[in-house]
Amino acid sequence: MTVLKVEDLTKDYGSFILNKVSFSMEKGRIMGFIGRNGAGKSTTLKAMFDHVHKDSGVVSFFGLDYTQNEAKIKQRVGFVGGGIDFYGRKKLSLITDVYRSFYENWDDAAYKRYMTMFSLDESKTPLKLSQGMKVKYALTLALSHHAELLVLDEPTSGLDPVSRRELLDVFLSLQKSGVSILFSTHITEDLEKCADDITYIKNGRIIASGDINAFKDAYAVVHAQAFTDQQQKFLIGVRQDKSGSSALIKAEDAGKLPLPCSKAALDDIMIHMERE
Amino acid sequence: MLDLIKKELKLSLHPTAPIFLLLSAMLLIPNYPYYVVFFYTTLGIFFICQNGREVNDINFMLLLPISRNDIVKARMTLAALLECAQILIAVPFAMLRNKILSAPNAAGMDANMALFGLAFIILGIFNIVFFPKYYKNPAKVGMPFILGSTAVFVFILLAEASCFILPFVKDILDTPGMANPLPKLAALLSGALICFLLTITAYKISVKNFKKIDL
Repeated sequence: MTVLKVEDLTKDYGSFILNKVSFSMEKGRIMGFIGRNGAGKSTTLKAMFDHVHKDSGVVSFFGLDYTQNEAKIKQRVGFVGGGIDFYGRKKLSLITDVYRSFYENWDDAAYKRYMTMFSLDESKTPLKLSQGMKVKYALTLALSHHAELLVLDEPTSGLDPVSRRELLDVFLSLQKSGVSILFSTHITEDLEKCADDITYIKNGRIIASGDINAFKDAYAVVHAQAFTDQQQKFLIGVRQDKSGSSALIKAEDAGKLPLPCSKAALDDIMIHMERE
Repeated sequence: MLDLIKKELKLSLHPTAPIFLLLSAMLLIPNYPYYVVFFYTTLGIFFICQNGREVNDINFMLLLPISRNDIVKARMTLAALLECAQILIAVPFAMLRNKILSAPNAAGMDANMALFGLAFIILGIFNIVFFPKYYKNPAKVGMPFILGSTAVFVFILLAEASCFILPFVKDILDTPGMANPLPKLAALLSGALICFLLTITAYKISVKNFKKIDL
């Protein structure tokens, strides 16, 4: 079942264009939405939820058009920005009390379970929570109304390595219970640990979207002291380093170059592609 | 709708707004421009919107399964409730003032039904100027408030001037207590109707403006 489908999403800011962004996501998958800062990740997520108005394109959740079914879809989706950045001085208990009244499927038992699991104290205020705890509280709110799809905008940025890993473990356990997760990040390490699929955006355009391993297998890294003119046409994003030069090539071109090749990690793919 | 009002009262209401409601007691001051009481209502609404910007109130609302119209409806309903409350709380103070002080108000309109009619118009004018401008860009609360207050003060000046210039206002409306009850009642009802129409128009324009912007 397709939980999210984005088709030709376009938004023109003049200096930046989100250009016909298209991708889709299947139920129960974890998808990483990757791109460097300013590539259009947050704009895409905001345009999906009409926080910014798209110029054209269609966004549907669970087969329902978002514009026509906003309230119905929001009952089933949890959109988490960087965490809870609102009502810094109000107690979590009060924020929850208001939040719960808007959801038909609010589950108090699930709420208490997640609050305990994440060691969250209801008497605290968002200002007193660490960045990691803010994300966990936002997740708790979304999960307590049984969100089937979680959309998170850079949930791991600003977290220490331990908290980041904890959060990724939470994603994996949520996936086991059938929740689909789309999260944007510029930290490729996060994706290697938990993503099934990736969607890669560069300068407002989708470069690739699909299975993460197939994406990685489609590229390789070649190394040389210097590349010849003949080799240049196969290379993507040549970089100089202390030991010589490296570049990305398409895996299918590997046999055409008599050069040492290594498997491409997501990091390599992103770093070389961004040089193009 | 009740959920939206509950949210506004529990999360968005700035503490100064209910405190300003108590300033209805200023109607007990023997000689005072009583319109000022209703300016405080608008100041309370400004503080709510300004505080909303600081605590990312709209970001929270955007997460909820409601439409953008509901975000505007929630805030403007809270404002309307505060405005009605200010007037309702002022009524017993006006009655008390008239009971204990027989001299007319030397500083402007007397505390009577016509004053409340004019107060409704003040609040309606604030709503029609402030909210449509505010919902063009909720990050900028100051300018809509300056424009709203300027419009309010221009109206107050005109209303005060009419107490000296227009014989109908001077001799019939600006008189203590229940003297000339029918013209005063007519002024009250007309004011309430004007306020209602201005506020409904303000809501419609605000919804339209808020729908257009990127957040």
